[in-house]
Amino acid sequence: MARTRKKASKTTEFYTVKRIDNSRLVRTVAPSRLRECLRLVALGGLVTAGALLYTWQHFQCIQLSYQVEALKAQQAEARGLNQQLRLEVAGLRDPMRIDVIARRQLGLTAPVSGQVENLNSPSDAELAQVRLAQAANRP
Amino acid sequence: MDLRRTRLRLLIVASLAALWMVAAAGRLAYLQLFCYSDYLARALRQQRHIVQISPKRAPIYDRNLLPLAMSIEVDSCFAVPSEIADQEMAARLLAGALGIPQSVIEERLASSSSFAWVERKLSPEKTRRVAALNLKGIYFQKENQRFYPKRELAAHVLGYVDIDEKGLAGVEYELNDQIRTKPGRVLVLGDARHRLLESRENTQDTSASVVLTLDEKIQYIAEKELSTAIAETHAIAGTILIENPSNGELLAVANWPRFNPNAAKDTPPEMMMDRAVSALYEPGSTFKIITLAAALEEAITRPDEVVDCQNGAIYIAGHRIRDHKPFGLLPVSQVLAQSSDVGAIKIALRLGAPKFYDYIRAFGFGAPTGIDLPGESKGILRRVENWTPISVGSISMGQEVGVTPVQLITAVSAIANGGLIYRPHVVKELRREGQPLPAEEAPEKTEPRRAISAKTAATLRWMLEGVVREGTGKLARLDGWTAAGKTGSAQKIDPATGRYSPTQLIASFTGFAPLNNPAVTILISLDSPVGLHEGGEVAAPVFKRVAEQVLSYLDVPRDIPVRERILTASRKTPSSNALPDVTDFSPGETSGATDSSAEFAEAASLRATAPQTVALAEGARITVPKLKGKTVREVTEECFRLGLSPVLIGTGVALEQSPNAGQPTRPGGRVTVRFGNAARRNGSGKGD
Repeated sequence: MARTRKKASKTTEFYTVKRIDNSRLVRTVAPSRLRECLRLVALGGLVTAGALLYTWQHFQCIQLSYQVEALKAQQAEARGLNQQLRLEVAGLRDPMRIDVIARRQLGLTAPVSGQVENLNSPSDAELAQVRLAQAANRP
Repeated sequence: MDLRRTRLRLLIVASLAALWMVAAAGRLAYLQLFCYSDYLARALRQQRHIVQISPKRAPIYDRNLLPLAMSIEVDSCFAVPSEIADQEMAARLLAGALGIPQSVIEERLASSSSFAWVERKLSPEKTRRVAALNLKGIYFQKENQRFYPKRELAAHVLGYVDIDEKGLAGVEYELNDQIRTKPGRVLVLGDARHRLLESRENTQDTSASVVLTLDEKIQYIAEKELSTAIAETHAIAGTILIENPSNGELLAVANWPRFNPNAAKDTPPEMMMDRAVSALYEPGSTFKIITLAAALEEAITRPDEVVDCQNGAIYIAGHRIRDHKPFGLLPVSQVLAQSSDVGAIKIALRLGAPKFYDYIRAFGFGAPTGIDLPGESKGILRRVENWTPISVGSISMGQEVGVTPVQLITAVSAIANGGLIYRPHVVKELRREGQPLPAEEAPEKTEPRRAISAKTAATLRWMLEGVVREGTGKLARLDGWTAAGKTGSAQKIDPATGRYSPTQLIASFTGFAPLNNPAVTILISLDSPVGLHEGGEVAAPVFKRVAEQVLSYLDVPRDIPVRERILTASRKTPSSNALPDVTDFSPGETSGATDSSAEFAEAASLRATAPQTVALAEGARITVPKLKGKTVREVTEECFRLGLSPVLIGTGVALEQSPNAGQPTRPGGRVTVRFGNAARRNGSGKGD
């Protein structure tokens, strides 16, 4: 390595400067080559855009999957809460519970027979027909 | 020289790059071609998880789609013991949170290294406590749990389930395959951070919800009145059945003792027995209905035929059978009304054993009714070839034959509906996604069969009305509706002696109302009442109470006038603070054996102690005062004072009024009064 350095130091190098003026040269434009180049660029752009679109879709799909699963979890939670509330409503509508509250807390009692009058009950004439039919059925 | 060196360098770099690319391609080819399946499996193992879903059970509704049984998701706690560093400490902490002995949890953790249940189906409170411990190796899994929000209501019909949601009794057992889905699995895809990426459920929900024929309100009326009757008579058991006689739908099935299906695991098996379909008993005098139905159908007798009841005693095959009263000559209708054993025996002897046996079978005794509940007994009815000389006499008055309550109510419903035997049933329909199932998946429907002619049934209905009107069932007479029925007081066999017990009886009453076009058939059966023990004394009043409430609830038109009674209005003091609050249903109660019998008994006792005190006075009547001769002002004041609405026509003094003085009217009733000049009226010569 040292020997190489010594050898290199002994060599004398000359640098000459030659000014070249290409300003008068006119580059000829080949339309077919330009079209080919543009086509190539366009094609490359399309392929790149396609690749980017595919990649974007892929990651978007993954993101949406996360969102769908999160919504599914929310839905399941809401469904569970709904079921719990339905169960609670069913328990609160227990006839015995209502009966006890009515009697104990509200001081109500059951109506005796005939106390509750149904406005849609049959007329006396209809009842008379029933009694007539009853009498007719007797052997 | 330099160019050559540069080329050499490029060649080396290119070669290295090519070598690297070949190596990479070779590696890729190796992975793809030879290791593909292995790495794919490893990737799927990391990404995919299969989560087991516990079986779901569809709800059970009453006929008005009110829920009687439903399932919700709860947490179950499990452990992966290999992940737990200090199992003893974990067991100690879990024992404190769950209220389970530490040794039990240690035993569970030691049972497996990969998976062990710590406790299944936790209450929300316990879940919170365990989650707060944040123990490594302890996880939760969702499972479905069955709840019965009405607690004891219709418990024997609904049944109950085990820890794996499998039906063990009642409709839960009978329709287990329809109600319960198969255990499912969900395929879950996750990423490296265990976030869910995708989940796919591979199970199809094929379960169907069940709509029962029971009516929650009628069921409650039946259970409340049965509870009251048990408290009053100190009977050891009892049953009330309410059926629609025109189609065999059971509207209520009440049994005593009751149980809470939410805590079935802590309940003795004998309390969970559905006596309505399983309990056998000798029907006693209620079976005379069958004896007389057979005799009337065969035209062996008529209601007005007089039978000599031989002063209350008869000898058959050397055995003396006595009546409960010494009857002499009685028409057949009175034999039934007064429940004469001698009369019934003499009629059955004329009928003969073979024909009598055929009619008993025609009414469905000695065979299962086909009710859609498990554990039905077919009853006891010996083949006619095995009958002894005394059998005709014994069976005619309801001995030597064992029936279930559901068999007896089916037979009595046949009398009520004109002679048709309908299969009793508690399942109205199955539903999926809110729609009834198609016919091929729906429960099979059976056509009714005829036991006796419509004419015989009509005759029997009239005779059974006589039982209530003037016979042994007078206490079953309804206020506002006609009713028919038959009392029964059957002696029980004493297991110690093998003979009929003189003290232990089954008091019963079976009847229907109203007489024409009956809306309900009701059976009351009380096992071994203490004190008063005849069916007419203890069961008939229960029939009255149940029937009046049920007919009012069903809005069945009254066919006889309501008896006038004095109603007193009183203001009750609501809510004594000394009384505990009503215990509301909570999912956590399944962990213990809660029982709402105390509240139930209280409701019943309140009814029993204040039957005549009412809060409203709608039924009160006001007597219309004499208004003639009074001025407009006096009439108005008088009417307002009495609570009447005056309609005033003209001026002067009152000349005419409607309604007339002394007639009753209801509060707020209109009283029309015409006024005029009394002097002119008197002068025209027209008097009152």
